[in-house]
Amino acid sequence: MTKGIVLMSGGIDSPVAADMVLSRGHDLVAVHMDNRPFTDETPLEKVRDHLQLLEARHGRRLPLYVLPHGKTQVTLMRNTDRHVGCILCRRFMWRSAEKMAEREGASFLVTGEALGQVASQTLSNMRSATVAVRLPIVRPLIGFDKHEIEARAKELGTYAVSTRPGLCCQAVPDRPATRSRLLQIQGEEEKIDVDRILEEVVRHAELL
Amino acid sequence: MSYRALQLCSSGGAYEALPDRPVQLDLADVRGRAERAGRKVVDARVMLILPGEPEVTLTRGGKIVVKTRDAEAAQRSFQAMISLIESPTSPG
Repeated sequence: MTKGIVLMSGGIDSPVAADMVLSRGHDLVAVHMDNRPFTDETPLEKVRDHLQLLEARHGRRLPLYVLPHGKTQVTLMRNTDRHVGCILCRRFMWRSAEKMAEREGASFLVTGEALGQVASQTLSNMRSATVAVRLPIVRPLIGFDKHEIEARAKELGTYAVSTRPGLCCQAVPDRPATRSRLLQIQGEEEKIDVDRILEEVVRHAELL
Repeated sequence: MSYRALQLCSSGGAYEALPDRPVQLDLADVRGRAERAGRKVVDARVMLILPGEPEVTLTRGGKIVVKTRDAEAAQRSFQAMISLIESPTSPG
């Protein structure tokens, strides 16, 4: 079986997606993009607890990389169109995950995205984000609705962890774009040094 | 400038307050005052983050978020932020 990289946010969806891939026998390495100071320490605590539950359920270790993302958010906010901030943020998450995949010898990426659930998960925005990377992205929950995902999370025991008090991402704009054009997104990225930012993020990756 | 009551946010991880009426703050101005008061400031252009215990965020639209679940600490930090917003700008 092959190895994948799963993006874990501390939310309800990502542990369910990870569980589905693990159930197929694949190995996973988790990546958490640490959004402080736009959130607090609770997402990371939740991810660690999610992984403990998944490790106990599947009887194998799930390594976790924590990558700094707060500085990237500041750069995006200061230099790019706020309206498309979630898409630009997402592209950095994918690129970071792909870098970790290179390090870990992983051949695919996994996410808990479900179609239309939030602004960054419309078809158009997912496409704009996805083309930032070459590796295939596996989305086990793509056609699920929120109730189905929550029911699975409750079965796994991860729901209670996800719904503990925490701080939502403060970097989300008031009116995030629900449609995007790739040319526009690429134009925004020309205002910043993508490679340098990514290099710094990966250099500070911490394996827990 | 008046605010609605400070209250626990929907995800329960912080206290937040919104201005009574729509505003557009001059964050560069607030940043200057905060730094002169000895506070460290992360300037993200559309919001300022003042690290500390607790950390406080101020958006251009005037929203104040205090990252604590302690109501009294939140109230103190909220009042301190209001003072920063409302204090007169010193010359030059």
